[in-house]
Amino acid sequence: MRYLMTTKATDAADETLYAEMAKFVEELTAAGVLLATGGLEPGGVRITSSGDTITVTDGPFTEAKEAVAGFALVEVRSKEEAIELTRRFRKIVGDGESVIQQVFGP
Amino acid sequence: MIGASLPLEGVRRTIDAVWKMESAKIVAGLTRMVRDVGLAEELAQDALVAALEQWPESGVPDNPGAWLTAIAKRRAVDHIRRSARLERKHEQIAYELEQRQPDGEPDDVLRLMFLSCHPVLPTEERVALTLRLLGGLTAAEIARAFLAGEPVIVQRIASAKRTLADEGVPFELPDGGELAERLSSVLDVIYLIFNEGYSATSGDDLMRPELCLEALRLGRLLAELAPHEAEVHGLVALMELQASRSAARTGPSGEPVQLHEQNRGRWDRLLIRRGFTAMLRAREAGGPPGPYMLQAAIAVCHAQAATAADTDWRRIASLYEVLARLLPTPVVRLNHAVALGMAYGPEAGLAVADLLTDDPTLRDYHLLPSVRGDLLLRLGRREEARREFLRAASLTGNDAERAFLHRRADEIPAPEAPTLTLGRAARDFLARDDLDGGTVRSYGQTLRRLRLSLGEELPLDSLTADQVARVFRTAWGEAAAATWNRHRSAVRSFCAWASLEDLAAGLDRRAATPNRTETIDAARLDALWNLPGVPLRELTLWRLLHESTAGVTTVLSLNVEDLDLDDRRARAGGGWVSWRSGTARLLPRLLAGRTRGPLFLADRRPGPARAPTPADLCPETGRGRLSYERAEYLFKRATKPLDPAGHGYTLRQLKPRG
Repeated sequence: MRYLMTTKATDAADETLYAEMAKFVEELTAAGVLLATGGLEPGGVRITSSGDTITVTDGPFTEAKEAVAGFALVEVRSKEEAIELTRRFRKIVGDGESVIQQVFGP
Repeated sequence: MIGASLPLEGVRRTIDAVWKMESAKIVAGLTRMVRDVGLAEELAQDALVAALEQWPESGVPDNPGAWLTAIAKRRAVDHIRRSARLERKHEQIAYELEQRQPDGEPDDVLRLMFLSCHPVLPTEERVALTLRLLGGLTAAEIARAFLAGEPVIVQRIASAKRTLADEGVPFELPDGGELAERLSSVLDVIYLIFNEGYSATSGDDLMRPELCLEALRLGRLLAELAPHEAEVHGLVALMELQASRSAARTGPSGEPVQLHEQNRGRWDRLLIRRGFTAMLRAREAGGPPGPYMLQAAIAVCHAQAATAADTDWRRIASLYEVLARLLPTPVVRLNHAVALGMAYGPEAGLAVADLLTDDPTLRDYHLLPSVRGDLLLRLGRREEARREFLRAASLTGNDAERAFLHRRADEIPAPEAPTLTLGRAARDFLARDDLDGGTVRSYGQTLRRLRLSLGEELPLDSLTADQVARVFRTAWGEAAAATWNRHRSAVRSFCAWASLEDLAAGLDRRAATPNRTETIDAARLDALWNLPGVPLRELTLWRLLHESTAGVTTVLSLNVEDLDLDDRRARAGGGWVSWRSGTARLLPRLLAGRTRGPLFLADRRPGPARAPTPADLCPETGRGRLSYERAEYLFKRATKPLDPAGHGYTLRQLKPRG
């Protein structure tokens, strides 16, 4: 089963953190677990629809703190594995929040 | 640390997850330390038990993998100290191990893969051991995935570990010339696991996705560990691309959807992209393309086609042609036929497919009639196509596929005037009341083969002597003369009854070959006693047969209470069976304290459907008596490598001359 882990923005990361993250990503790739990962630009573009109207708004938005800053798509055998991976990830990045959701499909 | 308030069940599941993620590394590191994979796994299991005891209380540690490794390592050190009786040298080793980082060496997991896929093991044991050690699956999970009983898997794993220990297989990376062969064994095991999941050969599901995933993980892992091997990336590419079609290859009610009818929008682009990337890495690694790379290249052709009509069948046909040279299996040749049919028209495909109908290995392979049906239909030979689809349906073991094939047959209208079919005639022939039971069974076997190979619905009047001869060649070409002649007279009797011309005309009566009762010569006997990995029961039985010169049935009917170990003899019927030192050494181990019941026991308890008489049941283990058929089969299989003819020997041949 696949899980998408999304992580909200945290305070500035330093070199050591990046190095540790890179090592973690490498490990997960080697284990055949990590399918895709990436960081997301802050802000982004918001597209809303209401009736026949589509509104396109450029960021940044006021609630930037709540915005997703990165994602990882992992292939695991159980929810517990996804939690365990996320736990390790959180240990590296420090305070903050990640959300994991099972991905149905494709 | 996760709070200690977690419910027990939650901790268990967490531990299970951690175990699955970490066990390969832990077991690999321990195997390097103790040089025995069975012991290493036991030590790792001990650590797991410790976790199950402590974590519900203490909470899950910050680095659970390291925790498990540390505990297991401590046990390993204890074990080495104990077993070495505190010899100075071993004490030094234990001390050094203690000081060493628990991380292990990067190649440990790769070594473990080579070990669990080692050629000394039978294939099914390689598969079970790999899933167990590298995938961290329990025997119950493996059994479920393979629709096998748990005891069977437990036994396979135990036997594999024993063989590795007995053979002294080193925990090392193969080098030079050996590498290619050993690597291809690892690749084959992984692909076998993938295929078992991808095209479930039996049961009502067409896919067992957990096995596909497990194989993919193993493949991706191997690609990281052996990045310079083109075939590894080829295999990963092949699996990623095949897995990308998982969702599209079954319809709403689980029926198979053929490649050209699949909704390509449901193909997993992410996996396709990963497959392409793996393919690029395979090409970068260089060298002439091997079988996995070629198959992956074919999968790439399909993945690149936006619609089925865009498929580059000419390229696929030429790739299959190269593949068929490297890997001339009937299945590859059949796929070549399909590709030719698509690239150059049904006639070209049928020409190659028809060549395969003579191949005994494809006798019961449902895809051959299914492919032929397809090609015949495209040629407008509708009635022949319909019969091939029905025949394919009768050969497949998969429910969803059978339903699908029946539907394909039903789409073609059956002939208006119902002719007398082969199936109908065979049923009428066997239903006569002037045949006794034995004859009905014997004739039934012959006719069943004809019906399976030629189709139930074949009009009887179109049956030719050539067709019958072909079935005989593929089914009984290698059989003993008596078998061949028995089937031949069944056909003749059927023809006489049905007032057909003699369809056995193409079949010569065969002169009986002399009974293969020549004994096994001394050199081969010697090799037999030293065959690696022979279970104790088999070894004892063979020794006893050889030393006692008693009949096989007599020896198999021996009971524990009949044995007189001191005088090396046992009461059997009215007489005695006696043996010498070889058997005498083995018997006490085989008995293992049993005092009653059959001496030679079957591997498992009998199912409720065939409960043996109490005399054939072990009162202590509930297992039944070993059957002649099973004993003969095991002997034949074990002695295949010794027999110059490659058939293997029969138990009766153990009896010395004179």
